Amino acid sequence: MTSETSAVPVQPCRHCGTHAPVSVHFCPRCEKILTLGRHGDYFRFFGLPRRLDLDQRDLEQRFRALSRQFHPDYYHNASPAERLASLERSSYLNDAFRTLRDPIGRLEYLLRLEGFAPKQSRDATAQVPAGLLEEVFELNEELEAIQDMRLEGAGAGLIAVRLEQARQPVEAKLDEHNRRLADLGRTHDAQLDAGDDEARTTTLATLRTLLLERTYLTNLLSTIRREMSGEDPAGA
Amino acid sequence: MSKVVGIDLGTTNSLVAFVRNGAPEVIGDESGDRLLPSVVSIDAGGTVFVGREAQRRLLTDPSRTAYSAKRFMGRGIEDVAGEAKWFPFGVSGLAGGVVHLHLGDRDLTPPEISGFILRELKRRAEAFFASEGDIDPEVAAAVITVPAYFNDAQRTATRDAGRLAGLEVLRIINEPTAACLAYGLNQRREGTVAVYDLGGGTFDISILRIEEGVFQVLSTNGDTRLGGDDIDRLLIEWANADLGLDPSTDAEAVQAVRKAAIQAKWDLSEFGETEIRVDSVPGRKGGYSRPVTRADFERLIAPVVERTLRPCRLALEDAGLGPDQIDEVVLVGGSTRIPMVRREVAALFGREPQTDLNPDEVVALGAAVQADILVTGRREMLLLDVTPLSLGIETMGGITSKIILRNSTIPASGSEMFTTFVDNQTAVDIHIVQGERELVSDNRSLGRFKLSGIPPMPAGLPRIQVRFQIDANGILSVSARELRTDIEQAIDVKPSYGLTDDEVERMLLESFEHAQEDIDARMLIEVRNEAETLIAATDKTLRRPDFTEIASTMLAPGEVPVIQAALAELRAVMGSADRELIQGRASALNQATQHLAEVVMNWTVQRALAGRDADEVHAKGR
Repeated sequence: MTSETSAVPVQPCRHCGTHAPVSVHFCPRCEKILTLGRHGDYFRFFGLPRRLDLDQRDLEQRFRALSRQFHPDYYHNASPAERLASLERSSYLNDAFRTLRDPIGRLEYLLRLEGFAPKQSRDATAQVPAGLLEEVFELNEELEAIQDMRLEGAGAGLIAVRLEQARQPVEAKLDEHNRRLADLGRTHDAQLDAGDDEARTTTLATLRTLLLERTYLTNLLSTIRREMSGEDPAGA
Repeated sequence: MSKVVGIDLGTTNSLVAFVRNGAPEVIGDESGDRLLPSVVSIDAGGTVFVGREAQRRLLTDPSRTAYSAKRFMGRGIEDVAGEAKWFPFGVSGLAGGVVHLHLGDRDLTPPEISGFILRELKRRAEAFFASEGDIDPEVAAAVITVPAYFNDAQRTATRDAGRLAGLEVLRIINEPTAACLAYGLNQRREGTVAVYDLGGGTFDISILRIEEGVFQVLSTNGDTRLGGDDIDRLLIEWANADLGLDPSTDAEAVQAVRKAAIQAKWDLSEFGETEIRVDSVPGRKGGYSRPVTRADFERLIAPVVERTLRPCRLALEDAGLGPDQIDEVVLVGGSTRIPMVRREVAALFGREPQTDLNPDEVVALGAAVQADILVTGRREMLLLDVTPLSLGIETMGGITSKIILRNSTIPASGSEMFTTFVDNQTAVDIHIVQGERELVSDNRSLGRFKLSGIPPMPAGLPRIQVRFQIDANGILSVSARELRTDIEQAIDVKPSYGLTDDEVERMLLESFEHAQEDIDARMLIEVRNEAETLIAATDKTLRRPDFTEIASTMLAPGEVPVIQAALAELRAVMGSADRELIQGRASALNQATQHLAEVVMNWTVQRALAGRDADEVHAKGR
């Protein structure tokens, strides 16, 4: 932890020129709100270690406390520089809170910070993750069978039952991934606390793989849900 | 110090409020009227009327009178084509531009109409502060409320209206949130609150979490074209069909029907049945009346009420909550007085809604609280609102790429990297949209800008970061920087459905030109009000049961006929726009009744004394 604090970049206060660490929000000398530095991160901003297991209540309380310090409401009569600083700091705070309060958002963000950014795989043609080949193969067969049933004029009720059957294993797989991600997150935190960087790097790589698979699974589920709600029946 | 107020700029009525000793209160006009009808009328001479007077003119000069102008704020002609025929004034505009309302020969944009309403509220507040003996009664700044579901163009139009009225708009806040602030102040509770706001023209639902004095909006949804107006219209259509009326040719008759329909709607919130009644239909022989039961009414409006429920469910879903997790439901807006609305809302959330505060006033009260927070900087309460719609830009193939998601707490920012496709390209065109749909064409176009001044470089080399900033008003600003050279790029966004700064400036100048006419209108109204008071007082005296006795014993012969003639002469010119004529006849009546007034005063005093003597005698006798 101490080694991390010393690495915090500093920036000058626009008002009095005092240098302050980017994790500090108000100038230690003149007490004016500081312009948002470019080299901070969400964890530092909240004064939190880069842990994946966060106390939700504590995060909310920090969010409210910081909102009360930065919000533009309170800088209405301040100088233009302070008003801008308040606007930028509040925007950053809101973004940070939105990201960190969601466990998946938090994980994605941490991976990016640590240089393990998952590749953007938004499009449907993304490669099937190696760990899911078997499940995806089975699901595709099932979906094709359902498509055939539809072409043969099977009733909507029957198709809905088959789609539900197809959905369940994917849902189960997703639950399993969520569990594994949570467990591995705690492992990561323990390694962080112990300063075991080598083990932590391995954990982060595994987390990235699992996260990619999880994204793929949620995409599959929304495809099935679309099929079930009858939208775009000929699609995919 | 000049004053700061909170303003609810409503579709049907507008209000102004301020905070005194920590508590918000609504400011009434000189006669104590707290609601200002959001109606603006301009007569043939160019005189502008606002409020009750304009509302009266809706019946006599409908084509020069604008109401529900809020429905046109920040919209294009293609948005309003369906409903424009319902209004007695002309509506026009070029495709993809601001709409114009035609009131006689004046051609006004919705922000200008709203500007007149805001100016009247400013005047009302200043008159109030002056009457309180304030040495600086000027109102220079205001917090103005908008529907939570208003998009960027509609918010900007509201801010422009404030500028046109000579007000510094300190903040634009959302109506349901303002209402919650007023409630929260009252009760100091914590928990999760749903605010259901069905106004004259718009519907909003907001879910808020109140904790440690922070009012955090979790989600919001709504429909900016759904409200009491739509309910009125269903009743009007009914009556129009009976009478064979055509809105485009029978404007006066339709306005008379509209007034009767609104009255019937109000009646049905209290009684099981009523009638739509017009004593004499303009342009027709005789009157019209049609009985309506509450059951008829509910059958008629059920689809409108139903349309409010889907946004409620979506808002709950976005907040990640079930109806049972809502601790309190608050009703806002005049249309929530309708029993069916209350019933449906109670059924959806499984609890009886709160109605402690007047649903017409609660939004203005909340706006005043927010104004007070901004000016005093007191920190016990903080409002954290969200942006109702996702913000994005157009990418290849007309697809929307979202940059700031809906229900993000504001202020919020996001950025996107752009590059060039051709060597030495120095500009890139960017199209900003708002909405949830995939295709740009299904979303709302906010504006376009050219990112210019890019240093000449081989294609794909420039890295231009465009930053989108939504401020605490929910209004967007854009900035850009080329990261390799660290040069800030010039951006000039051309709003799709808004006014440019130059246009607002020009309108401000025009409004100064019309300032004399506006002062004339104000003076005419004042003279007319005084004359009305005088007529009422004279009438009251003449109708006293003991008047014959007074006249025969204390007045000169021939005095009464003189008074009656002066009264009739003043009555005859009350509808005139000639201020001096009314004033002349009013002072004639005043003179004719001066002696009478003294006589009546003495008479009353004597009677009172005599009565007391009698009482004393009576008391002694016991």
